[in-house]
Amino acid sequence: MTDLDPAEFFESARRAAASCAGGTAAEQAARLAEDGLLGVLAPEAAGGLALPLRFAVPVVAAASGALLSLPLVETLLLARIAPVPIAAALVAGETIGTISWDCAVDACETSDGVVLDGVVGRAPGTRDAGWVLARLRDGRAALVATSAGGLAVGDADGFDLAVPEGMLRLTGVAVPSAHVLPADACDGLIVDAEVLRAAAMLGSAELCLAAAVEHATNRRQFGKALIANQAMRHLLARQKLQLENLRGVLNRALAPNAAPIAARVAFAAACQYGPAIIEGAIQVHGGMGFTWDLDLHRHLRHLRMLEAHGDGRGVRAAIAAHLIDSNAA
Amino acid sequence: MTTLELDSPLAGLSGDAYRTAAREWLARNAPQQFLADRAGYTAPTVPELKRWEAALYRGGLAGIAWPSSYGGHGRTLAEHLIGNQEIGRLALPESVNSIGKELAGEAGSDLAGLCTRATPDGDGWRIDGQKIWTSGAMNAQRCLLLARTGPVSDRHRGLALFAVRMDSPGLRVRPLKQANGKEGFCEVFFDGVYVAPEDALGKPDEGWAAAIRVLSIERATNRMYRAWRFENELRHLIAAAKCDTRLAALLDEADYRQRIAATFVDIEVVKGYVEPAVAALVAGDSIGARGSLMKLHWSEAHQRFAALAMELLAQASPDAPPTVRNAQRHFRDIYLQSRAETIYAGTTEIQLGIIADRILELPRGR
Repeated sequence: MTDLDPAEFFESARRAAASCAGGTAAEQAARLAEDGLLGVLAPEAAGGLALPLRFAVPVVAAASGALLSLPLVETLLLARIAPVPIAAALVAGETIGTISWDCAVDACETSDGVVLDGVVGRAPGTRDAGWVLARLRDGRAALVATSAGGLAVGDADGFDLAVPEGMLRLTGVAVPSAHVLPADACDGLIVDAEVLRAAAMLGSAELCLAAAVEHATNRRQFGKALIANQAMRHLLARQKLQLENLRGVLNRALAPNAAPIAARVAFAAACQYGPAIIEGAIQVHGGMGFTWDLDLHRHLRHLRMLEAHGDGRGVRAAIAAHLIDSNAA
Repeated sequence: MTTLELDSPLAGLSGDAYRTAAREWLARNAPQQFLADRAGYTAPTVPELKRWEAALYRGGLAGIAWPSSYGGHGRTLAEHLIGNQEIGRLALPESVNSIGKELAGEAGSDLAGLCTRATPDGDGWRIDGQKIWTSGAMNAQRCLLLARTGPVSDRHRGLALFAVRMDSPGLRVRPLKQANGKEGFCEVFFDGVYVAPEDALGKPDEGWAAAIRVLSIERATNRMYRAWRFENELRHLIAAAKCDTRLAALLDEADYRQRIAATFVDIEVVKGYVEPAVAALVAGDSIGARGSLMKLHWSEAHQRFAALAMELLAQASPDAPPTVRNAQRHFRDIYLQSRAETIYAGTTEIQLGIIADRILELPRGR
């Protein structure tokens, strides 16, 4: 697999995402599956490619740029760790997976699995998902079919228009033991999700900056193009700096010898730079930037929710704790 | 040029073995009193700095990637990066050597507008004019000089590069006292200074291209240890804060933790520029305008960090231990020095212009 080029995955994903943007999440999943893009991380036994995370990064970036409503980060990660039949369905685009990033779920052991009670929050694309992974209070995670008895889907949070997140209430939901994952599988999943969220933010930010450059180049005000003003050129240059800052730390996190903290740094940088670039793009667009018709606000909403899914402030606190605790007085 | 016979302890090593040997050499040889994060720190004098620079050279950690035919160690930028990472991990003084900044003329950093003239004089050249912002000129034996061989209206054309001997008759140096009380930059006056033909670098019309190459390399590779030095400074700040009850309590405050994390992210971003730049140069690519991204980021990031350190340390207890007092002095120096960092080697505004013009390739617009 070493002869594969992640950049080619970006082009392939960009074309596929562009062709299905605006469709339903199910249609988008089917379209990406056609090109084998949902199985980038999944094991070969499930029809996947079992590639390293760096190959998923361009796929997520391209999908975020196209504002797909499919919870792609979660579907890709779930396809890697789910039992083979479920993973195969995810890879084939026959079902959609999501992950709850904020749960309060208790498990009661039974002879053939667990029974779950609690609330599953911050799960993007809940309405479209066939499966949701919920972290249990004891550190394990349970893969729950959204059609399971005892499961009620709450109102979606309407802030993220691209991939609305939802809430599920579990009341005596039975889950077989094969669908209960050990705690260490979940820990790795959280770290990889931080990297993929950073990739999504990079994809959105890059697209919004390109839109800002195009607008500033073509828009004329007071008899000259906006781009002729040094203030505008410097503003765009600063946005480009932020974009390349993010790209650099994301690439560091993907290096084979990356330090464990690198994924957190990439996500923290994405939370800092991603929304700032889009806010800047709205500013460059002037009044047009504040209209519903332009997608800039959709990207901004999506990035702010990605920040919440990964608990940006908590990640920064963890980085500081790592530094302070490892530093002798 | 004679190839020097160097007996560096790093010769023949690469990768992890090179890193280990460099780290061990520094542990054995770095003067403890020069380490700014130690209680017994004493600011080194210029002669001491020169002796340390010479020791670094003999140890294989200065002139790492210079060609051996010019007295360097002839290693690749991969070793240059490792060596700089290891130097940066210690709070050692800045190198006395500098490049690029010497190129600016009386037109400030508008290189294309410089007026110092070079006129043919026999086989060599005669230099007349004045330079400013020449760093370390009062201690230097040579100065890299860009001078004009044609009219000012030629702008980028008619510029030649020289390595001028600082003891040349007619050359006078006036150090400038800086905002931090130190004398780092100088004015240099050239009054009919003769430059021998062997001290002219390249052809008379190649000066501009050489200067741009020097500046882009300076932005990307000179003092490549910066990111690792900044990390060392951050660890120094945290360690010092832990020594004082008031500061230790501040380290537990959520908002300070957020800002410390942001500083660490800033530092990691610098590393995210350095490593690909080295890989590109090793692969034979040029740095070009990308050096501006790194320079703009590190210079502003260091200012943010220095301001945070000043703010934090100012809240120390009145009876704080000497390690805290030492840190206060150290970070005040860094804070003041950092004001220059967004000015030299191309100001922030120049970098923004380069990014807009050459990286984003924005049209001029009418």
